[in-house]
Amino acid sequence: MTIPKFPLGQIIETSIDFLVEHLSFATKAFSVALGSILDVVEDAMMALPPWLFILIAAALAYKLTRGSKGITLLTLLGLGLIWNLGLWSATVSTIALVILSTLVAISIGMPLGIAAAMSRTAYRLVMPVLDVMQTMPAFVYLIPAIPFFGLGKVAAIFSTVIFAMPPAIRLTCLGIKQVPPELVECAEAFGSNRWQRLFKLELPLATPTIMAGINQTVMLALSMVVISAMIGAKGLGGEVWKAIQRLQMGNGFEAGIGIVIVAIILDRVLQKVGAKR
Amino acid sequence: MLKRLLAIMTAALIIAAIAVPGFAKDEIKIAYVEWDCAAASTNLVQAVLQEKMGYEVEIIPVAAAAMWQAVGTGDVDGMVTAWLPVTHADYLAKVKDKVENLGPIVGGAKLGWAVPSYVKAESIADLNKYADKFDGRIIGIDPGAGLMRLSEQAVKDYDLKLELMEGSGATMTAALSNAIKNNEWVVVTAWSPHWMFGKWDLKYLADPKGTLGGEEHIDTIVRKGLSKDKPEVYAFLDKFEYKDAVQMQTLMAWNQEPGADRYENAKRFIKEFPETVDSWLK
Repeated sequence: MTIPKFPLGQIIETSIDFLVEHLSFATKAFSVALGSILDVVEDAMMALPPWLFILIAAALAYKLTRGSKGITLLTLLGLGLIWNLGLWSATVSTIALVILSTLVAISIGMPLGIAAAMSRTAYRLVMPVLDVMQTMPAFVYLIPAIPFFGLGKVAAIFSTVIFAMPPAIRLTCLGIKQVPPELVECAEAFGSNRWQRLFKLELPLATPTIMAGINQTVMLALSMVVISAMIGAKGLGGEVWKAIQRLQMGNGFEAGIGIVIVAIILDRVLQKVGAKR
Repeated sequence: MLKRLLAIMTAALIIAAIAVPGFAKDEIKIAYVEWDCAAASTNLVQAVLQEKMGYEVEIIPVAAAAMWQAVGTGDVDGMVTAWLPVTHADYLAKVKDKVENLGPIVGGAKLGWAVPSYVKAESIADLNKYADKFDGRIIGIDPGAGLMRLSEQAVKDYDLKLELMEGSGATMTAALSNAIKNNEWVVVTAWSPHWMFGKWDLKYLADPKGTLGGEEHIDTIVRKGLSKDKPEVYAFLDKFEYKDAVQMQTLMAWNQEPGADRYENAKRFIKEFPETVDSWLK
């Protein structure tokens, strides 16, 4: 008595083929749109001479961190080193990819997090999906994404969003749930309706937690850059991947350190932005 | 703070919405994998199309599975680095109705198992004898490659007591480099043309049963429909081939020089082999 193997893989392959057949025209159109947005962002960043970009970035870091000298100096020196190593255009391309992926992840993730905080049903639906998103190996959906989003950056954004969105959802939900019940009662006593309570009380109080989630999203997006290089995302991840395939350890580490520098700058700046005044 | 964040996001979306229309450039896209042979040929094709024919060409380095998938879906126009009949057979089977093979750019490619020249083993059949010296391991590459499928078969055919290790092209060359540095015995799954044969003194092990296949050739594969959309490009890719393996290895050797720029070397190739290049453009 042998139980035949359940054809799970076949079912998935057939459904993916079906989706490609009937959905890819829509995803392709979306992909063209997102691709041109990314091009615009990247071209705009590339249009600035590197020294000017670095100065602007340092000034932004100074302003956003409310005058932290350390972070400002780190931005100046770190980006200067990247420029000096000849990784400038790769870095700009990676920063553009990470920013756009993060924006997409937040604009989908925050509403979902709010919904999960406000309704038990939504919470029960969302949580298992998040578990899958965070644990399903990216390699599994990397290649199947090509027929939908084409080769290159848009497919990379898609897989990065899947990987990096969960913390934004989880921490938005957590932040709202952690608002003290006394304050909620107080708001209700003053006759505020559900939306007023959300926007005037819960979201402002949850902001530090939400910012921590956004910070995590950025960091996870950066950790995907090498994997997305496998489908032609180029950028710093592409430099790393190229170097390891050619056994050039030095170049690999240079590009790797570039990723670390970008990550540390973004992390520190976002932490300061999220911190309570 | 949150208000400001929302404002920034809205602004970004509005700017994006304004910027969207009319940015799709009509350009040729060619996918490749970061192997030396592939990178050399792809840069050469890019240089000819750009310098000689006035096209705009984007070359995209990806994983092998992604490259085939992208030509199959028509997302890229083609590639010049299909290892057939064996290495990429699995990939080709997946997309064979959607692509067109324009024939080889070079023959004489080979698959096999290689050892440093100081290793006493001469044939795959000898490996069991020396299993301990090799630490009981054969160093392999990406599990998806045809070379690995054949290597698994070879382990069975020769009834080897060694284990075939999976990894990637990079881990294989790293293991090889490390073994040679320490003067240890090592056997790796290999293919040529590959830069490791230029860098170290290696030899292929004899394969009396012929499990690892005969000669491979490297082919040009394009998406179905390229002949209609871009007949000029199609005609060029159809004619594109090296005069012989030596010509290709010359180009690859230039790329191995420190600080080499592949695109510049491709332009140098156009300068140094004008008859070959002209024969593609006739």
